[in-house]
Amino acid sequence: MFGTRKQQAQDERLDRVGQALVRAGAENEEAFETAAASPFLYTRLRARIAAAERAQQTGADEGWLALLTVARRAVPAMTALAALVFTLMVWLASGNAPAATGFGDEAYYGSEAGVEQVVLADTQNLSRDEVLSLVVERGEQGRR
Amino acid sequence: MHPSDEPTDDALVSATCAGDEAAFAQLFERHRRRVARTAARFFSRPEQIEEIVQESFTKAYFALPNFAGAHTASFAAWLAQITVNACYDELRRAQRRPERQLDELNEAETHALTTQLRAAAARPDVESALIARDLAGKLLARLSAEDRLVLTLLDAEGLSVAEIAKLTGWSTPKVKVRAYRARAHLRRVLRKYV
Repeated sequence: MFGTRKQQAQDERLDRVGQALVRAGAENEEAFETAAASPFLYTRLRARIAAAERAQQTGADEGWLALLTVARRAVPAMTALAALVFTLMVWLASGNAPAATGFGDEAYYGSEAGVEQVVLADTQNLSRDEVLSLVVERGEQGRR
Repeated sequence: MHPSDEPTDDALVSATCAGDEAAFAQLFERHRRRVARTAARFFSRPEQIEEIVQESFTKAYFALPNFAGAHTASFAAWLAQITVNACYDELRRAQRRPERQLDELNEAETHALTTQLRAAAARPDVESALIARDLAGKLLARLSAEDRLVLTLLDAEGLSVAEIAKLTGWSTPKVKVRAYRARAHLRRVLRKYV
């Protein structure tokens, strides 16, 4: 407890020294007077504002130029892409496109009548046709 | 001219926005010392103070239409905010510059500062102790820009936490936390000397 109180007192003392230090560092009276009375300060300020205005104007002009440059490059590319898409659509609509390959879902599930039931699950497995032909073959052999 | 005949700041702001350059010159003449005074709290070289004055008025010039449209604060208070922010930005820039090594204390300076700080700490009236300004500046340069800003506004300008919050745009709790941390940091720095 005594240690804490001592520490607290030391901190307070350091804080007061710190405050004196900050105040000493902020006492720049001579520099303030020199800067405040500096001649041509307003003239230099006007020059700075004019330079900033010019920079803003140049920036705005360059912005438009950059936009035009991008547009000049982008327009032919976009036109070519649009033409390609249009050609593709016309070609697909004309019926020249190859028919879709592969099996439809109905071939797997066998829900639709008239669709051949072929499932290529494994090359080792027998198909229904093969099973059917084997049954028919055995039946004929038995009859003989 | 009688003071009451002089145009108000608001009238000068409106005239400047309408393109009257003389009105802006009048605003500048009216407030340049106040801006320079604030800058001198943070910077010790005249050219640094002039830079802050120019920066603050340039920013104010381009933001005048915003002030004329929406601000409820006085022009002086608004300009003070711009000035403090310009000082803060410059403090941060200064910390990144390589010439910051010039702020390092040499052996003789360290000895002188130690003597002064020990003498100050031993006095019952620490506030009246004499600490060399340039040595104090070099020691304060070791603080971060935020710490320096808050401590200077609190201890040198004598502002309240609420006033600092208004000036910097920070929240009141942030100012309090920053002040607490800044004092702790300064204590750590001072322990090496006292």
